Amino acid sequence: MSEKELGQKWDHCLADSAIKFGTGLGLGIVFSVVFFKRRTWPIVFGTGLGLGMAYSNCQNDLRSHYVLHSKVAKEQ
Amino acid sequence: MAAKILPVVKFATKFTIAGGALYVAYDSGLLGDGKEGSVVLGRAKAAFPPAVEEWMKYFSFELPATPKIEFSPLDAWNSVFHSGVQKSIHALSVAPSTVSDYTKQGLQYVKDLTK
Repeated sequence: MSEKELGQKWDHCLADSAIKFGTGLGLGIVFSVVFFKRRTWPIVFGTGLGLGMAYSNCQNDLRSHYVLHSKVAKEQ
Repeated sequence: MAAKILPVVKFATKFTIAGGALYVAYDSGLLGDGKEGSVVLGRAKAAFPPAVEEWMKYFSFELPATPKIEFSPLDAWNSVFHSGVQKSIHALSVAPSTVSDYTKQGLQYVKDLTK
Protein backbone atom coordinates (compact mmCIF):
# COMPACT_ATOMS: atom_id res chain seq x y z
CA MET A 1 0.00 0.00 0.00
CA SER A 2 1.50 3.33 -1.01
CA GLU A 3 2.00 6.14 1.47
CA LYS A 4 -0.61 8.21 -0.29
CA GLU A 5 -3.19 5.43 -0.11
CA LEU A 6 -2.39 4.87 3.55
CA GLY A 7 -2.79 8.56 4.30
CA GLN A 8 -6.15 8.63 2.54
CA LYS A 9 -7.32 5.58 4.47
CA TRP A 10 -6.38 7.20 7.76
CA ASP A 11 -8.22 10.38 6.73
CA HIS A 12 -11.32 8.34 5.92
CA CYS A 13 -10.92 6.61 9.28
CA LEU A 14 -10.86 9.88 11.20
CA ALA A 15 -13.82 11.34 9.31
CA ASP A 16 -15.75 8.12 9.76
CA SER A 17 -15.00 8.07 13.49
CA ALA A 18 -16.32 11.60 13.87
CA ILE A 19 -19.48 10.79 11.93
CA LYS A 20 -20.19 7.56 13.79
CA PHE A 21 -19.48 9.22 17.13
CA GLY A 22 -21.98 11.97 16.31
CA THR A 23 -24.56 9.56 14.94
CA GLY A 24 -24.22 7.25 17.93
CA LEU A 25 -24.52 10.18 20.29
CA GLY A 26 -27.56 11.51 18.48
CA LEU A 27 -29.37 8.20 18.30
CA GLY A 28 -28.46 7.50 21.91
CA ILE A 29 -30.01 10.80 22.93
CA VAL A 30 -33.15 10.06 20.90
CA PHE A 31 -33.55 6.62 22.41
CA SER A 32 -32.77 7.86 25.89
CA VAL A 33 -35.40 10.58 25.70
CA VAL A 34 -38.04 8.49 23.96
CA PHE A 35 -37.76 5.11 25.65
CA PHE A 36 -35.55 5.20 28.71
CA LYS A 37 -36.74 8.14 30.77
CA ARG A 38 -33.71 10.35 30.04
CA ARG A 39 -31.18 8.07 31.67
CA THR A 40 -27.52 8.36 30.73
CA TRP A 41 -26.68 4.82 29.76
CA PRO A 42 -28.37 4.77 26.32
CA ILE A 43 -26.32 7.79 25.31
CA VAL A 44 -23.10 6.15 26.42
CA PHE A 45 -24.14 2.88 24.80
CA GLY A 46 -24.96 4.60 21.49
CA THR A 47 -21.68 6.48 21.49
CA GLY A 48 -19.82 3.27 22.20
CA LEU A 49 -21.63 1.49 19.39
CA GLY A 50 -20.69 4.30 17.00
CA LEU A 51 -17.03 4.23 17.99
CA GLY A 52 -16.98 0.45 17.73
CA MET A 53 -18.45 0.57 14.23
CA ALA A 54 -15.85 3.14 13.22
CA TYR A 55 -13.04 0.99 14.65
CA SER A 56 -14.28 -2.07 12.81
CA ASN A 57 -14.58 -0.14 9.53
CA CYS A 58 -11.07 1.22 9.95
CA GLN A 59 -9.71 -2.22 10.66
CA ASN A 60 -11.36 -3.72 7.58
CA ASP A 61 -10.23 -0.88 5.40
CA LEU A 62 -6.61 -1.02 6.48
CA ARG A 63 -6.50 -4.80 6.16
CA SER A 64 -8.28 -4.97 2.80
CA HIS A 65 -5.04 -4.45 0.90
CA TYR A 66 -3.57 -7.66 2.29
CA VAL A 67 -6.63 -9.90 2.00
CA LEU A 68 -6.17 -12.76 -0.42
CA HIS A 69 -8.69 -13.19 -3.17
CA SER A 70 -9.24 -16.43 -4.96
CA LYS A 71 -11.23 -17.60 -7.91
CA VAL A 72 -12.93 -20.92 -8.18
CA ALA A 73 -11.86 -22.64 -11.37
CA LYS A 74 -14.73 -23.64 -13.59
CA GLU A 75 -15.28 -27.31 -13.99
CA GLN A 76 -14.70 -28.41 -17.53
CA MET B 1 -62.03 2.92 25.61
CA ALA B 2 -59.72 5.86 25.01
CA ALA B 3 -57.88 5.14 28.25
CA LYS B 4 -57.13 1.62 27.08
CA ILE B 5 -55.79 2.62 23.69
CA LEU B 6 -53.67 5.53 24.94
CA PRO B 7 -50.63 3.53 26.12
CA VAL B 8 -50.61 1.69 22.79
CA VAL B 9 -50.77 4.97 20.89
CA LYS B 10 -47.99 6.40 23.06
CA PHE B 11 -45.80 3.38 22.47
CA ALA B 12 -46.54 3.45 18.73
CA THR B 13 -45.57 7.13 18.54
CA LYS B 14 -42.34 6.55 20.45
CA PHE B 15 -41.52 3.57 18.30
CA THR B 16 -42.18 5.60 15.14
CA ILE B 17 -39.96 8.47 16.26
CA ALA B 18 -37.07 6.25 17.33
CA GLY B 19 -37.45 3.96 14.33
CA GLY B 20 -37.63 6.94 12.01
CA ALA B 21 -34.42 8.40 13.45
CA LEU B 22 -32.71 5.04 13.07
CA TYR B 23 -33.96 4.66 9.49
CA VAL B 24 -32.83 8.16 8.52
CA ALA B 25 -29.37 7.44 9.92
CA TYR B 26 -29.21 4.16 8.02
CA ASP B 27 -30.58 5.57 4.79
CA SER B 28 -28.25 8.54 4.57
CA GLY B 29 -25.26 6.24 4.86
CA LEU B 30 -24.19 7.42 8.30
CA LEU B 31 -23.87 3.84 9.51
CA GLY B 32 -22.05 2.49 6.49
CA ASP B 33 -18.49 2.18 5.33
CA GLY B 34 -15.66 4.65 5.88
CA LYS B 35 -15.81 5.83 2.29
CA GLU B 36 -19.59 6.27 2.48
CA GLY B 37 -19.07 8.36 5.59
CA SER B 38 -16.81 10.85 3.84
CA VAL B 39 -19.32 11.03 0.96
CA VAL B 40 -22.03 11.93 3.48
CA LEU B 41 -19.74 14.51 5.06
CA GLY B 42 -19.09 16.08 1.67
CA ARG B 43 -22.81 16.18 0.90
CA ALA B 44 -23.55 17.78 4.27
CA LYS B 45 -20.85 20.40 3.77
CA ALA B 46 -22.24 21.20 0.31
CA ALA B 47 -25.82 21.40 1.57
CA PHE B 48 -25.04 23.48 4.64
CA PRO B 49 -24.71 27.03 3.15
CA PRO B 50 -27.95 26.89 1.05
CA ALA B 51 -29.84 25.56 4.06
CA VAL B 52 -28.50 28.38 6.24
CA GLU B 53 -29.48 30.89 3.55
CA GLU B 54 -33.00 29.50 3.37
CA TRP B 55 -33.43 29.71 7.14
CA MET B 56 -32.13 33.27 7.06
CA LYS B 57 -34.71 34.23 4.43
CA TYR B 58 -37.45 32.53 6.40
CA PHE B 59 -36.67 34.40 9.61
CA SER B 60 -35.47 37.57 7.80
CA PHE B 61 -32.41 37.44 10.00
CA GLU B 62 -28.98 38.34 8.72
CA LEU B 63 -26.06 36.36 10.04
CA PRO B 64 -22.71 38.18 9.88
CA ALA B 65 -20.60 36.87 7.03
CA THR B 66 -18.28 34.17 8.32
CA PRO B 67 -14.68 35.17 7.64
CA LYS B 68 -12.82 32.88 5.29
CA ILE B 69 -10.15 31.21 7.38
CA GLU B 70 -7.37 29.82 5.22
CA PHE B 71 -6.40 27.20 7.80
CA SER B 72 -6.70 23.50 7.26
CA PRO B 73 -5.96 21.36 10.33
CA LEU B 74 -5.29 18.38 8.09
CA ASP B 75 -2.64 20.23 6.09
CA ALA B 76 -1.12 21.72 9.22
CA TRP B 77 -0.75 18.25 10.69
CA ASN B 78 0.36 16.45 7.56
CA SER B 79 2.34 19.04 5.61
CA VAL B 80 5.87 18.47 4.51
CA PHE B 81 7.37 21.55 6.15
CA HIS B 82 7.16 22.00 9.94
CA SER B 83 4.21 19.66 10.16
CA GLY B 84 2.35 18.91 13.34
CA VAL B 85 3.88 15.46 13.31
CA GLN B 86 7.41 16.87 13.18
CA LYS B 87 6.72 19.37 15.94
CA SER B 88 5.21 16.75 18.23
CA ILE B 89 8.07 14.28 17.79
CA HIS B 90 10.67 17.03 18.16
CA ALA B 91 9.04 18.13 21.41
CA LEU B 92 9.11 14.54 22.64
CA SER B 93 12.78 14.17 21.75
CA VAL B 94 13.93 17.33 23.55
CA ALA B 95 11.61 16.71 26.50
CA PRO B 96 14.16 15.01 28.82
CA SER B 97 16.79 17.74 28.44
CA THR B 98 14.16 20.48 28.77
CA VAL B 99 12.80 18.91 31.94
CA SER B 100 16.28 18.60 33.45
CA ASP B 101 17.04 22.24 32.57
CA TYR B 102 13.85 23.43 34.25
CA THR B 103 14.58 21.28 37.30
CA LYS B 104 18.08 22.75 37.60
CA GLN B 105 16.69 26.27 37.26
CA GLY B 106 14.04 25.56 39.88
CA LEU B 107 16.59 24.14 42.34
CA GLN B 108 18.89 27.11 41.73
CA TYR B 109 15.99 29.49 42.44
CA VAL B 110 15.16 27.73 45.69
CA LYS B 111 18.86 27.78 46.70
CA ASP B 112 19.02 31.50 46.00
CA LEU B 113 15.96 32.04 48.17
CA THR B 114 17.51 30.23 51.13
CA LYS B 115 20.86 32.06 50.92
